Amino acid sequence: MAFVRLVVFGFMALSVIYLSVAIYSRSVRREKLEDEWAEDNPASTDMAARDVFVGKGIIAYNASFRPKLVGLVYVIPTVIVVAIVYITNTN
Amino acid sequence: MHRFKIISRVLMFLVFGLFLHYVLPQHDVVQISQAEPRRTDFGSFNRWFYAQADGGSVELPSRDVFYIFTDKKETFLLGFVPRDTTEVMVYRNEDTGWIWPPYFKFDSSNLHGQATSQARKEESSEGGNWAVVTHYGWRIPFMSIFPNAVDMKAISGPDERIIPWFNIFFFIFLMVGIGFLRAMWMQFRERAVDPLLDNAGHRYDEASAEMAERGGRVRRWLNTWRAKDKR
Repeated sequence: MAFVRLVVFGFMALSVIYLSVAIYSRSVRREKLEDEWAEDNPASTDMAARDVFVGKGIIAYNASFRPKLVGLVYVIPTVIVVAIVYITNTN
Repeated sequence: MHRFKIISRVLMFLVFGLFLHYVLPQHDVVQISQAEPRRTDFGSFNRWFYAQADGGSVELPSRDVFYIFTDKKETFLLGFVPRDTTEVMVYRNEDTGWIWPPYFKFDSSNLHGQATSQARKEESSEGGNWAVVTHYGWRIPFMSIFPNAVDMKAISGPDERIIPWFNIFFFIFLMVGIGFLRAMWMQFRERAVDPLLDNAGHRYDEASAEMAERGGRVRRWLNTWRAKDKR
């Protein structure tokens, strides 16, 4: 029962972390794209073109391998827990 | 207000530090004199400092708990004065199970066996009878609170050099984690909160300027009642 509780609450906590890291990562990428646009078109005030550029960049980002790395948020703690269980309970 | 901020910050830091001091593993160099189970009737307060029944057992109001009695080599006094004396230290030896703190210890019976056989060793036997006990928690005699022994390893002598690898990595990870959290918060502020505030900012500025003006008038009137600067 305690194990089920650990899994359920652990999953919930990790999901919160996963979501925030995913949002953060995407936000950083978006900012980078905006900066890139500003560098390439210093005088432009064409917001629609900028949005298209940024939107394309975000779609490319979503399809890339990078956002999948955020899934490590689930993998690493699980590995650590298994390692601790093993190390603590072997003499 | 400033003082309140400092005090609350110091308090928070202190509580967090104490918490880590309780929960993180520490290593003691000991000679085990005895290991035995003893029935323990928990009080309402010190119940907090014991774990729950062994993994796979039923939780009852009182149960047998393994204890390990040792002579512990005293550590450096205040962190730098070496001492050659020993003191008595008693550990409880309980499963932490799947719950808090996350040591995931299920082998308390094995550890008990290990401790018993270690206690049988003579000081003059090969390698001596010294051992390193990894534990967390505090010994508070007034409340019958004991640290929980998590692991035990026989060593060849009392001068074993101990490197707390886990704690080193833990604190590095903590720093990285705090840095990351900070970066996330700043990003959130910059991207989500600040634009909203900018929109509302103009109206807010006007309102707050008016408030400041009014507050200033009251303040000025109050100040006329204050003692003048004595220069």
